[in-house]
Parts: sequence; structure tokens; C-alpha cells
Amino acid sequence: MSSFHVVNYSLRTNKSIQRNLVFEGARILKMNLRLEKLGYIGFGSLWFTDFLTAHKSLGIREMYSMEVDKIGFARAKFNQPFKTVIVQYGSCSELLPNMLAEPAAGKRPWLIWLDYDKGLDEEILDDLRSAIELAPPNSILVVTINCKNLGKPNQRVTRLKTLLGGIVPDELSTDACQDDRIAHTLLDLLSDFLVSVAASSARPGGYLPAFRIAYQDGTPMVTVGGFLPSKQNMAVAAKVISSRSWPARVSKPIVVPPLTLKEAASLQSQLPRGRPLSRRAVRSLGFDLEPDHVRSFEMFYRYYPFYAQISV
Amino acid sequence: MELPGKAEANPTKAFFVRMITRDISLADCILDLIDNSVDAAWQLKGAKPSLFSNTTSLSAFHIEISASALKFSIRDNCGGITLDNAAKYAFTFGRDDEMEHDAYSIGVYGIGMKRAIFKLGSVIQIRSTYSVTSRGKSKNESFRVPINVTKWLAAKAWDFDLEADEALPEPGLQISVTRLSESTSRAFGSPEFLRDLRRIIARDYALHLHRGLKISLDGELIKGWNIELRQSKNFLPLRDSYKDEETGVNVEIVAGMAAPPPESSEPDDVKDRDSRSGWYIICNGRIVVAGDKTTVAGWGTPGWPKWHPQYEGFIGLIFFTSEDAQALPLTTTKRSVDSSSGLYQRSMPKMREISKEWIAYTNVRKQFTDKAKALEEEAKPVTLYKISKNAQVIFPKLVGKLKVKPANISYLIEKKRAEKLADAFGDINMTYRDIGLRSFEYAYEEFVGKD
Repeated sequence: MSSFHVVNYSLRTNKSIQRNLVFEGARILKMNLRLEKLGYIGFGSLWFTDFLTAHKSLGIREMYSMEVDKIGFARAKFNQPFKTVIVQYGSCSELLPNMLAEPAAGKRPWLIWLDYDKGLDEEILDDLRSAIELAPPNSILVVTINCKNLGKPNQRVTRLKTLLGGIVPDELSTDACQDDRIAHTLLDLLSDFLVSVAASSARPGGYLPAFRIAYQDGTPMVTVGGFLPSKQNMAVAAKVISSRSWPARVSKPIVVPPLTLKEAASLQSQLPRGRPLSRRAVRSLGFDLEPDHVRSFEMFYRYYPFYAQISV
Repeated sequence: MELPGKAEANPTKAFFVRMITRDISLADCILDLIDNSVDAAWQLKGAKPSLFSNTTSLSAFHIEISASALKFSIRDNCGGITLDNAAKYAFTFGRDDEMEHDAYSIGVYGIGMKRAIFKLGSVIQIRSTYSVTSRGKSKNESFRVPINVTKWLAAKAWDFDLEADEALPEPGLQISVTRLSESTSRAFGSPEFLRDLRRIIARDYALHLHRGLKISLDGELIKGWNIELRQSKNFLPLRDSYKDEETGVNVEIVAGMAAPPPESSEPDDVKDRDSRSGWYIICNGRIVVAGDKTTVAGWGTPGWPKWHPQYEGFIGLIFFTSEDAQALPLTTTKRSVDSSSGLYQRSMPKMREISKEWIAYTNVRKQFTDKAKALEEEAKPVTLYKISKNAQVIFPKLVGKLKVKPANISYLIEKKRAEKLADAFGDINMTYRDIGLRSFEYAYEEFVGKD
């Protein structure tokens, strides 16, 4: 079942922060590398939240949305937000290689965001392999998956080795696949997978890891990705991505709880500040939050959505 | 017309470099460099045959490798190359028949180091510190060989410059390569390549690592593969040795069950398939062929069935040991064996008979799976070094009441759904065979009831 039956993408706080971080990274790359013709490929679902941001914040015109569900496809077409969004019916594995193989597609870089609502499987890895092998130079590839569907903790190492083969270190422990640690493990493995696929497919400009975000969205989620530069753009891109101000590589998971507008505004009024915001400081504002949540809000408040976005 | 008398046939340097680097993988080049270090360590310890009975320790030696997209280096404390050796032998391309060979060495053709550095990149620095004894006193001397491949290719002479150098912390060799070739740089930037390299080193130098040699890759020590075979009163690994009369080479064979055969022998039906099964060919202590399932080790040659996943679990090792490495069936890349070698051909019938014993066992086993599984469970892993002499490999003789007439049910379903059902059954890694059996038993109990 597609997740559009369950959720409205635009209203989830941590998802929204993660989306803002990804698009902020894409915006920086677009600006520094002059990717004027950047197009967008994603899963718009019914809400097209990412497509709205892609168009409104980044000025992207050419956009493709893939929809595998028949009714979802009809509804997505009905909800298509802009004239330049093309909704295609089929799975990513069927559509993406064909889309990227089109001669016209090869003439522009793409921001490809495969934002799945499922856990790692062979299909996802095949999609990523196609994207790395076929994406034109200066494209950005981002993938989001949840940390489920890997079996019980003691079965996960074997499952990951079945899926990822030699990428998985021999010493990967069951412990590293338990609880919250699975998100960190998946970030490492997916990132290593993308780097290794790019190396073995001998892309002239290689692949620069650039996106690494873990967040809570009901379930632990991870987002990994990178830039596929042309040979000429390698050095500039590497500099941009390794800069301290690069926003899309975050060290701690995004775990901001749902806050009322009043709570969020009170917290924000204390930021930015020299010393970290403490739980005591929050209590003195008249309410309370878990220390992890306070830290997470402080890290990501600039990307915190203050109003419900309405898809129009 | 005046004839010049002779037609020039000298190879161009560029052709030569292209030729020697084309047919070897990057990983094998690195192994060539490790071989040089291992040979040097072995010479320092007195160069004895690398047999099990020889307990020479290599724990004083370490080889440190570091590889990144920008730079490669390998450094050892295995004694270094002397200036005399460097001037006369170490940098010549290939070995003269007249040259003396190091005893019990792995290197034989005199091409490994040169080929490796040319494959890796174009700015190379080789530094050596070695110990010399004069008037009863020993002191360290050092030199370096800087090579800029682009300049060297453009120059007429084939020589390399030797320059005085500061001493390394210990007698040994250090090779650094920068301006890596594009393919080398790409490979060193790949986590998968580096993890595979680590696995190859752990496997191919398992015997040296067992002797205490330390090899590290990017600062992390590599743990050698502990080769084990299962042993019980029903499963007895073979361990036998003989001297090949023609060549005088010592041959030792160890073979048996390393793990029970797989539950399912369908090619895509085993999760995280163990690829270690097959034959291993070891020359002077170095594994040159690992887990072979091809005609190289005999599978699929006359009188010997092709490899099938049903045979998984079998490991056979054949060790060739010789003072003169030229007598060994080594190829120049040390990644296969010279199948035209008489020594190797004479050993193959022995390998075949052992393989056939295992094949027969796995065939009969299909009729007595439960009994076989119980016996396999009883057999406990024994490390290679503790397996006793035994000229005949022994597998259980399975006899008993044959199973009732079976029906073979097979059907195709979407893989995704099979995995979902496996997960719901409680084991996402369940084989398709077990998913089928469990589903059948479930349906049988639901619709037929208990037998």
C-alpha cells in the first residue's frame, strides 16, 4: 500500500526539517555550480510537497513524478501542481532508466530524490545503481528509506550481507543493528554502497557524498546522497560540500517532537545563543521537553516549519 | 640498395609498461608487493620450507599498507633491499636464468614490484634501509629510488637513479606512490574494493598471519582466516603428503568438510552464500588459488563433475613447497596455476578422488537428510594446523530405510512476497525451500489435519 493512504507529507515536522535540509543543499550546489537547467525526479505522491519546494525555492521547471499505484496515478495527475510536472505511471525500476536514457534528459543535470516509504530491498539498490550509472554529469542523487523490513535484530547482519554483499564489513555486529543504532549502520552502508557503485561504474567525475541525515518520522528514517560532478566541477563541488556551512550532513538524528506554535515560538525566541539551550531554560519558559528534543530543536530550528504548508 | 643488416626489435618502454600492467588486477599488484615483504622476512628467518612442521615465527615483522584516492604506500620492517641488490637485480625487468633465487620464496619472475608500481601510479619513491656488518660491527645504510614514470618513459635509458637517503626507523622497505592512475584512484576510493582487499589478504596470507606476521590496511590490523575442517568419528579430514619424484617438490593435501552442505542448492536460494568452498592451491605458503570451483582445480574436466552448489561445504587445500620457486606451478600474476605444469597435473588425480568422495556423500545425503544433519552436527571444527595425518578422507556411510516416494512441488511467486512471508514466519533469511515446506505444512495441517 502506498503511504499516501496514511499520511500527508507536508505536515510532519522532522520530515519537513529533513526536506528543507536536502533542498538547502541542492540550492547551494545549484548556485555554486551554476546548474541553471537542473530538473527534478521524485515520488510526488498526491501532495507534491517536494515538487512545490523544488519549483518555488529552487526555480526548477522540468519535473517528473513516478507513481506505481493505479488509483494513486489518477489522483496524482489530478493534483499535479504545475504545468511542467509530468506524472508517469509505473515503478521506479521501470521508469527511471528509460527517463534517464532519453537523449533530452542527458542534456541537463537532475536532482533525483528517491524518497521511498519502505525499508531497504533489492529493488531500491537496483534503482540506485541505475541512477548512478545513468544520471548525467552534475546530477544530485538522494535516497530516503526507513529502517524497517530487515528482520529481527539477530537476522539483520545476514539480511544486509544478502542485500549488499561485500560492502558490509565482516565485523558488523548484531549490536550495531539494534534499536537506534540501525539508522547509523544504514547511513554508513548506503553511503559506502553509493561510493562503491560510482567507483565501479567509472564515472569520470566520480561521486561526492553530500547528504547524510537520520530522522524520526514515526519510525527511524535515513537519507543519504551525493553529487555526481562533471570532471570540471569536481574540485569546486568538493569544496562546497566539505565547507563547514554545508547543511545536509547532520551528526545527530532529527528528533524534534511536535510542538505547538506557542512552544516553538518561545523556544525560538531563545535562539541563537552562545551556550546550549538547557532543559532548565525550557522549564523556565513554562513548559518541559526531553533533553534530546531540546538539542534537536536547537540544531534544526532554522529549518523548523512554522506554518502548515498548504498544497495548492 | 644497402641493407641495414639488422631490423630493430627492441621493445618501446611504453609498450612494455602497458603490456606488463594490463593483465594483472590492482589487488594482485598489491599482493605482489606483500609477497616481496614476506619473502624478505622469510629470508631473514633462515628460509626454511613453509611446512606445517616448521614453526618459524614471523611475529617480529609487520607490513603497513595505506591506500586512498590520492596516495598509496606500503612499508615493512623486513630487512630492506641492499644497495648491491638494487643496483644489480631488484630493478631489472625479469630474472636472468643465471641469477640466484631466494630459497623457498614466493617471487619467481622478478617482475612483481615494477609491474605493481607502474600499475599504481606515476610518481614513485622507493626507500630502503638495510643492515650491513663490517669488521664485526653492524650499521644501517639507506638509499632511495625516485621514479617519475612520465620522465622515465621519455628517456632512452632503462635504468633508475639510486640516491642517498635518510634512514627509515627500522631496516625495511617503503614504497610510496602518488599521482595514482585514474582506475587506481577510483578503486582506492571505493569502500567495497578496500573491504575486499582486506578479505583477500586475510585469506591468501592466512598461513603467514598464523605465524604471527602483522599486516595492516589503513591502520587496522588484518586478522587471518582461521581455516577449519569438521572432525568426528564419522567425518575425518584427509591429511597426506608426498614428494613429487620428478621435481623434488613437497606436496601436502588437507581436505574435508568445512561446513555442512547447504539446505537448498538452488543458486539464488542461499542467503549470504559462503563462497569459501572449493580447492585452494598454495605455493610456498601463499594461497594462489582460493575456493576454486572451475576447471583450474579440475571441476568439469573428464571424470570430474562440474561444480554444483550442492557440493558447498567442501574445502581441499594442496600445498606445494620447494626451495626453488621456479619448480612451483606459479603463474606470473600468482592468481592461478600453470595447468601445463607436470607437477600440478600429477597431483590432480589425487584431488579428483577426494572431490568425488564428497560428491558421492552429498548425493546420498539427499535421501537421508535428517540422519546426515545429525552426524554433521556432531562433527566439530578443528583448525588446519591440528588435523592429524590420515591418508583417506572419511565421510559417513549413510544407509537405512529410503524415504517414501517423494513429490517435488515447485512454483514461482513474486520474490518480494516470499521475503515478506519469510519475515512473518520469523526469519527473513529463510531459504525459499523452507518457505515452501513451512507453507505446505501449514496448509496441510489446516486442510488435512495431523497425520
